[in-house]
Amino acid sequence: MSKTILVVDDSASVRQVVTIALRGAGYEVLAATDGQDALRQLDGRRVHLIVSDVNMPNMDGITLVGEVKKLPAYKFTPIIMLTTESQEEKKRQAQAAGAKAWVTKPFQPAQMLAAVQKLIAP
Amino acid sequence: MLESLLVLLALVAGAAAGAWFGRRSARGRTDAVAVHRDALRFQDSVGELASTIAPVWANQIASSRSQMEDAVGAVTAEFGQIVENLDTVLASSSAALEDGRGGGALERGRHRLGNVVSTLDDALRSKRAALGDLERLLELNQELKQMTAEVAQIAAQTNLLALNASIEAARAGAAGAGFGIVALEVRQLADRSFQTSERMAQRVDGIGSAITSTLSRAEGDAEREGVAVARANAEVSEVLDDLDVVFSGLRHSSDELERAAVGIRGGVSQAIVNLQFQDRIGQVLGHVKDSIEQLPVLVDRAEPDATGIRRPLDGQRLLGDLTAAYTMHQERDAQHAGVAAAVPESEITFF
Repeated sequence: MSKTILVVDDSASVRQVVTIALRGAGYEVLAATDGQDALRQLDGRRVHLIVSDVNMPNMDGITLVGEVKKLPAYKFTPIIMLTTESQEEKKRQAQAAGAKAWVTKPFQPAQMLAAVQKLIAP
Repeated sequence: MLESLLVLLALVAGAAAGAWFGRRSARGRTDAVAVHRDALRFQDSVGELASTIAPVWANQIASSRSQMEDAVGAVTAEFGQIVENLDTVLASSSAALEDGRGGGALERGRHRLGNVVSTLDDALRSKRAALGDLERLLELNQELKQMTAEVAQIAAQTNLLALNASIEAARAGAAGAGFGIVALEVRQLADRSFQTSERMAQRVDGIGSAITSTLSRAEGDAEREGVAVARANAEVSEVLDDLDVVFSGLRHSSDELERAAVGIRGGVSQAIVNLQFQDRIGQVLGHVKDSIEQLPVLVDRAEPDATGIRRPLDGQRLLGDLTAAYTMHQERDAQHAGVAAAVPESEITFF
């Protein structure tokens, strides 16, 4: 059974690119448009990894990481931040919140896949 | 006189100056009112401009951003489908080609048809072996015929001997009577042997004719079958060689298609990557839109003084807010240079 990954980004094109890259490698991919939508999608599902943007409306990515870590079922679920954000402070905040990796946009699908495969097998 | 004239001039000049200054003072009051009125009108127009055009700018940017995001999202999805379809085609093509390369359908067909031809060859060889047996049977029959002839000759000689014995027995008289009877019996046996040998010769001739006829017919059949098998073998080889040419052409064509599909897939994949520009542009436009929406707020916040004139607009604050919202180096570069720096390669940091 393939592993499930939740992609969280307010940009439809980025969601598509990540989805294409990961589905091609055999992962099942879910998509959410912001942090709140992501928390709704996690409820009652088994998700093995989360790829999240940082700057999003309603709930940003760093807040999402903190909220996910409060959920017992997702306490140890790895989270990759995928962002255009260039401020080191934001990167430190993401690390402190519990994110496992920081990937800057624009990304190559192979790079994203490598980052994901380092954290979970297909 | 001169003094009177100077006094007069002084009086005239004083009167003129007094009149001029009086007019100027009145005009100054009028001008100040006009300037104040113009200033109020200007600041009202600035406020009106900010409250009317700024939301329109913001809406137009939001609309363009939304349209761009929808369009780029749709294009990305279409490209993704193209990549998926190409992956399916390439996987299918590779499987078919691998089958063809690794002793696939053609080689299996050649092997199986070769087995059929080989079975026909075996049957033909078996038939030719049977023909050899028939030829040997014919030779044996010839030997039997020869033996039959010898038996007939022996019977004739025995008959002659028995005849001579009968003569000698008759010449011996009564003493030879018993021997004469034996000689007669021998002669009769020789006759029967001769008759039997003649019948055997007839049968052997019949058998020889039958074998010769069968052999002749079988040899004709074997000849025709040999030609048919050889022709079948040649036909099979030709058909398989033709198919090999066709398969080779298909493989070559398929290889070219595969190379083209791989190229297209790479191009489309890179196009998908490049479409991430929408995310960056969307963020820049979002920041600009937010800043534009702050313009009427900034004007409203500029409180008027006792004369009704508003305090100067705090453009630096608006700029500061915009700069603080930046998330990318390219935005900061574009603010000063008007041209964004090249987009850097993606970086991955594991915590």
